[in-house]
Amino acid sequence: MRAAIYTVLVFAALSAAYGQNTGYQQDPGWRAPSEAEARPNPLAKHPEAAAGGEKLFKRNCVECHGDNGTGLEKKHAADLQLPAVQQQSDGTLFWKITNGNPDRGMPSFSRLPELQRWQLVLYLRTLKSASAPSHETKK
Amino acid sequence: MHFYLQMSCNWKKTALQASSILWLVAMLTPTACRAQESPYFVTYDHHLEEPGNLEIETYTTSGIPRAGQNAYVAPYLELEYGVLGRWTAELYLEGQGTIADSAVFTGWRLENRFRPLKREHLINPVFYLEYESTSEASRIQKEIVGGGPDVISPNSELQPIKNHELEAKLILSSTVRDWNIAGNFIAEKNVSRGEGFEFGYAFGVARPLATLASGASCRLCRENFLVGVELYGGLGSTVDGFRVHDTPHYIAPVVSWQLSENGSLRFSPAVALTSEGSPVLLRFGYSYEVRDFRSKIARLFGGKR
Repeated sequence: MRAAIYTVLVFAALSAAYGQNTGYQQDPGWRAPSEAEARPNPLAKHPEAAAGGEKLFKRNCVECHGDNGTGLEKKHAADLQLPAVQQQSDGTLFWKITNGNPDRGMPSFSRLPELQRWQLVLYLRTLKSASAPSHETKK
Repeated sequence: MHFYLQMSCNWKKTALQASSILWLVAMLTPTACRAQESPYFVTYDHHLEEPGNLEIETYTTSGIPRAGQNAYVAPYLELEYGVLGRWTAELYLEGQGTIADSAVFTGWRLENRFRPLKREHLINPVFYLEYESTSEASRIQKEIVGGGPDVISPNSELQPIKNHELEAKLILSSTVRDWNIAGNFIAEKNVSRGEGFEFGYAFGVARPLATLASGASCRLCRENFLVGVELYGGLGSTVDGFRVHDTPHYIAPVVSWQLSENGSLRFSPAVALTSEGSPVLLRFGYSYEVRDFRSKIARLFGGKR
């Protein structure tokens, strides 16, 4: 039993040591392939589906990106209102939601059905900051 | 230990109380919920725990007996922690209560899953390594290897036999048109005794009932349910030979229901395909996710994260 306790304690210490998030930075290596980038949102003509996207965003994303998507500093999460994010194509955002960037703390959401991931993209488009210049969605 | 003893003696009453409590919890918790957890009990897919989150899961495996066997309930607690984006660790504590016999604590397990590839692929591999310190009386059947567990001998004979085992799995998992398809190939080595290597397998397919999220907050929406089927069993060992006819194999429908923001309920009745093991296994599970567990613990000790 003592061996079990030591094993668990050592494992917990190792987990804590290796579990540090070193701080958020845009990852230049996190790029969607060109074919993924060009994918159009199949729900683009169904803006009402964004309501479901909002629900999904609150379920899955606010923990790191905050209620309005501005990104929680303690989580080093991206501000989704920034032009740098909003200028990305629907296909790119879909690819990033699908694959995540696990080494930078962004989990993969491939567990969600494909249409729900597109609903998230639809909702992300509504997060544009009032002060930010408007950008056409790249297709 | 006392808990298990009570459970084996009053298991019907306990099951009724547990289901009442779960229902109450479901009704009192918010209806928003997270991405669906996998509905499988035995099969692993390629999705790992989010880094920093802790999932607390309780399960029971109940065996309906054949002639000459006694019914049993084998509960286990699982603590699943996302260490890194591509590394999840889990600790299990398990017990077992057999009708007209006794109730025992059967041991613990520590498992790790590593995802070698950063991105989603057509087939996503995950490496699984586990250490088990359990007794021969273990009946949770989180996986089935070799000839399966001994469900006939009394606990007084099985409990003194301690096993230290290493287990490895190759998990291959795909997402095809919102279907998850997963296969696990299992090899286990008992380092306490010369049993050779024991082998097993698990396959599963599952899908959400709805793929489009409704805008309304709801508990009984189809999008909150995942359904599927699992197939798992033992494949013999290097000592007794590779075999399938006299080892347990089960086919099991699975369903999971996302009850609340952090909680989900799972159920699976598994039917035996051979005359080995229990003819029916009933599995129940409830999991609760503690988000941002790492930061909460760090704050307890004065950290900022």
